[in-house]
Amino acid sequence: MNNTLSTKKKLPIGIAVAVVVLALPFILQLIAGNDYSVMICCIILVYVIAVSGLDILFGYSGQISLGHAAFFVIGAYTSGLLNNYFNTPLWLTIPAGALLATGIGALLAWPASKLKFHFLSLATVAFGEIVYYFLYVSPKIGDSSIGFTNDYMGINVINIPFLDNYTKWYFFLLFFVVIFLLAKQSLIHSRTGRAFMAIRENTHAANGMGVNVRKNKIIAFAVSAFYTGFAGAVYVHLIRYIAPATAQQKQSVLFLTMLLFGGTGSLVGPIIGVIFIELLLELIRPLQEYQMLLYGILLLIVIVALPGGLYGGVKDAIVSLKRRKETAKLAKSDQ
Amino acid sequence: MLEAKNITIRFGGLTAVNNVSMQVRPGQITALIGPNGAGKTTLFNCISGVYVPNEGEVILDGEHLEGKMGYKINAAGISRTYQVINLFWNMTVLENVLVGMHSRLTATFWDSLFHTKKKREEEKQIVEKAHEWLKFVGLDEYANDRAGSLSYGKQRLLEIVRGLASEPKVILLDEPAAGMNTTEKAELDVLLQRILKMGYTILVVEHDMKLIMNISDYIYVLCQGSLLAEGTPAEIQNNPDVIAAYLGGDE
Amino acid sequence: MQTFLTLLISGLVIGGIYGLIALGYSLIYRASGLMSFAQGDMVTLGAYLGIFYYVWLGLPILVALVLTFITAFLFGMALERGVIRTLLKKNVIPIYIVLATIAVSYIIQNLAQAVFGSTTQWFPQVFPVANLTLFGVTNQTEAYASFVISIILMIALHLFMTKTKFGTAMRGSAMDPLAAESCGINTSLSTGITWGLAASIASLAGMMLGPMYGVFTTLGSTIGRKGFAGAVVGGYGNMYGAMIGGLLLGLAETFVAGYIDGTYKNQIAYIILIVFLFVKPTGIFNEKAIQDV
Repeated sequence: MNNTLSTKKKLPIGIAVAVVVLALPFILQLIAGNDYSVMICCIILVYVIAVSGLDILFGYSGQISLGHAAFFVIGAYTSGLLNNYFNTPLWLTIPAGALLATGIGALLAWPASKLKFHFLSLATVAFGEIVYYFLYVSPKIGDSSIGFTNDYMGINVINIPFLDNYTKWYFFLLFFVVIFLLAKQSLIHSRTGRAFMAIRENTHAANGMGVNVRKNKIIAFAVSAFYTGFAGAVYVHLIRYIAPATAQQKQSVLFLTMLLFGGTGSLVGPIIGVIFIELLLELIRPLQEYQMLLYGILLLIVIVALPGGLYGGVKDAIVSLKRRKETAKLAKSDQ
Repeated sequence: MLEAKNITIRFGGLTAVNNVSMQVRPGQITALIGPNGAGKTTLFNCISGVYVPNEGEVILDGEHLEGKMGYKINAAGISRTYQVINLFWNMTVLENVLVGMHSRLTATFWDSLFHTKKKREEEKQIVEKAHEWLKFVGLDEYANDRAGSLSYGKQRLLEIVRGLASEPKVILLDEPAAGMNTTEKAELDVLLQRILKMGYTILVVEHDMKLIMNISDYIYVLCQGSLLAEGTPAEIQNNPDVIAAYLGGDE
Repeated sequence: MQTFLTLLISGLVIGGIYGLIALGYSLIYRASGLMSFAQGDMVTLGAYLGIFYYVWLGLPILVALVLTFITAFLFGMALERGVIRTLLKKNVIPIYIVLATIAVSYIIQNLAQAVFGSTTQWFPQVFPVANLTLFGVTNQTEAYASFVISIILMIALHLFMTKTKFGTAMRGSAMDPLAAESCGINTSLSTGITWGLAASIASLAGMMLGPMYGVFTTLGSTIGRKGFAGAVVGGYGNMYGAMIGGLLLGLAETFVAGYIDGTYKNQIAYIILIVFLFVKPTGIFNEKAIQDV
C-alpha cells in the first residue's frame, strides 16, 4: 500500500528479521538459560494470530468487538475437551475449535451486523459474559469452575512427540503465524478485503458501489473468529490451562489494547502491539494489581496522542522526515 | 433504457416526490433540475436504492429495480456519485477505483483467502484497468495517495471514475459541479462529453443552469415534488412555467 | 403468595436502581449521541464517596447524600469536558470515544482499589430500624428507602426536564444543537451538565446499593451493564423508557432467579439485552437509533 520504505531497503530488512526470528529461541536460551522466555515468545505468537484476527474485524471492516476473548475461549475449550476426554488428536481438535468459533461468530454477526458501533460493542460484551456464565455453570466435566486442567504433560507428549518443549512449540506456532499472516494479506488485497475497508470507511457508499454490506460484515466476523478461535485452540495445549473468566471483557480489552497500541489495519501493527504489551505485562508482573490502570492509561495514550498506534506513528514520522529532506533538497537546488 | 414510472415517495405525511415519470435514453445526457427541495435527490436516491418508493416502478432494460438493495442495483448496471462527496477517505485513490469494480469481479472469498491463480490474474488485470481509468481523468499520478488528501475538484473526478469503474449502463451524477470553479466546470463539461463518447449514458442532477443547458440532451424539471416540464434545453428555456418557478424560487 | 410478594418487592428495589442507571445512559445518548462505559463506574464512585463522606468524615446521611451528588456531578462534567470534548474536537472516530470511556472506567476501578483497598467495605446501618415489614415481607430498611428514593429521583428528573427553563434548554439542544444555539442556548454547557446529571444519578444509585451489597471496585461494572440493558429494553435514548425498562429488567431477573433457577441470575440481563438488540432494537418505546445499514 503505502510505500514508506523502498523495495530496495525492504529485502535486507526482511532477511534480518527472518534471521532474528529463527534464531530467537536459541539466543534466549543461551542468555536466560531457561525455557520461560521462550514460552513468552510462544504466547506472543499465539496472540499475534488472535490480534491479527481482531484486526480483520476492527482495523479493516470497522466493526468493534469487546467479546473476542469469548472466541478464544470457545476454541480453547473445544480443542481441550475433545483432546482430553475423547482422545481426539490435535490435528482434528484445533481446527474443530477454530471452526466452532467461526460458526458462532457468523451466527452472532448475522443479527449484530445491523447494530451501530456502541450497541455492537455492548452486544459483544454481553456475548462474552454469556459464554463465560455458560462455561462457569456448565455440567462439570472435570472441575469446570476453574477450567479444566491437565495434570500431566501427557496429552501433547503422547499425541505429538515433536511438541515436548517450548522451542519446538515456537517453530510449530511460527509456522502457523506465517500462514495466517499470509492469508490475511491475501484477503486484504482482494475484492473481499477492499469491500471490508469500504464498509469501514462509508457503509452507504460501499452499498452504492455494489458491496453487499451485511454479507461482508458477517464474513469479516467469521474470519476474525476463526483466527481468534484457532489461537485459543493452540493456546490451551501450549499453556495446558484455560478458565471461563478469560471469556470476559478484560481479556477482550487486552486484545483490543494490543491492536490499537500496535496500529490497526496493517500487517505489522498487531505484531508490534502484541510484543510491546506482552513484554510490558511481564515487566510489571510484580504490580499486577495495577494491570487495569495500565490498560486504561495505554488506551488513553493511543486514543489521544497516537491514533495510528506505534506502527502508524513511526510511519508518519518516516513520511514527514522524507518530506522534510525533499523540501530541503528542493530549497538547496533552488539556490 | 432506464425508466421511472409514476414514482411517489412520502416521508410521514410529507410527499417528497409525487407521481413523477421520466426516461433516460441511451447514449444521452438526461438532466433533472429544479429549485432546492424539489425532490431531485430524493428521486435519485430512489432510483439508486437508498429509498424505496411508496408507489411506482424503476425499470432498467426490462428489469424491475424498485425496492432492491443498493448493491444489487449497482450490479444491475446503475452507478452513482453523491451530492456530498462520499469517497473511501482512508483508502488509496487506486483502491477507491478498485472498489468501484466490485460487482464486476468474479474472485470469490476463498480465491481471496488462498491467493489462487484466478485471483492473482484478476487482480493484475483490474489494477491495470484502474490505472487506465485514473489516466482518463488525469489522476494516475496520485494512485497511491490517500483519497482524502486530494483537492476538492480531484475528489469529484475520482468519484466519477469510481462510479464508471463498474461499467454501468447508466451513471447518476448528483450535482457534479457543486463547489467547482469556472475552469473546473469547463473541464467537467468536456469530461462528460468524453464519457458519453465511450458509450455511457448519464443522468445528472445539477444546479448550474448554464452547464445544464450546455450539456444536456433532454431535461426534466421538478418543482415541489411534481414534474413541471420536460423537453430539450431550448424548449425548457422558453417554457413560461419553468421561468416562473425559477423566478419565484430561490435562484 | 408470600414468595411472590417478596420477589416483587426485591425486583422493584433492584429495578429502580437499574432504572436510575438506565436514565443516565439515555441522558448521555440524548445529549451527545454516545455511550459511556464509565457510567457503571459512577455507581462505584458514588458508593465510595458515600463511604468517604458518611463513614470516614462522619457526616449526617443527608449531607453525605447531597455531597456525593455534587461531587459525582462535577466528576461527570469533568469527564465530558476533559476527555470526551477533547476527543470530539480532535475529530476522533466515534468508536475511539467509546473506547476512551472504557479506559476511564478501568482507571476509576483501579484507583478506587488503590485508595480503598480490594476488600469489600460495608456501610454501617443508616436507619435506626434495621428491618422493615411491609405486606408481610421483611426487608432491609435501606431497600425500601432505595426504592422510594429511586421513584422520587425519577419524578424530580421528569419535572426538571419538562417544567424548568433549563430542562427545556437541555432537551432542545439534544434535539437540534444548531437550532438551540441560534435560540441562545449554550449547548456545550448543557451537554456538560447532562453528563454531570447522569453521573450524579448513578452515584446515588451506588450509595443506595452500598448498604445492600457492600462496596467493592467492580460493583458498578456489572450493574452498569444491566442498567444499559434496561435502557435498551425501554428504547435507548428515551427517559421514560429507561425507567420502565430498568424496572422490568429488575423484575424479570428476580422472578426468573426466584422461580426457575438462581444460577442463571446474572445471565438473564445479558440474554434479554441480546434478544432486544437483535429482535426489537427500538425497545418498548420504539426509539429509533441503534441500527446501521
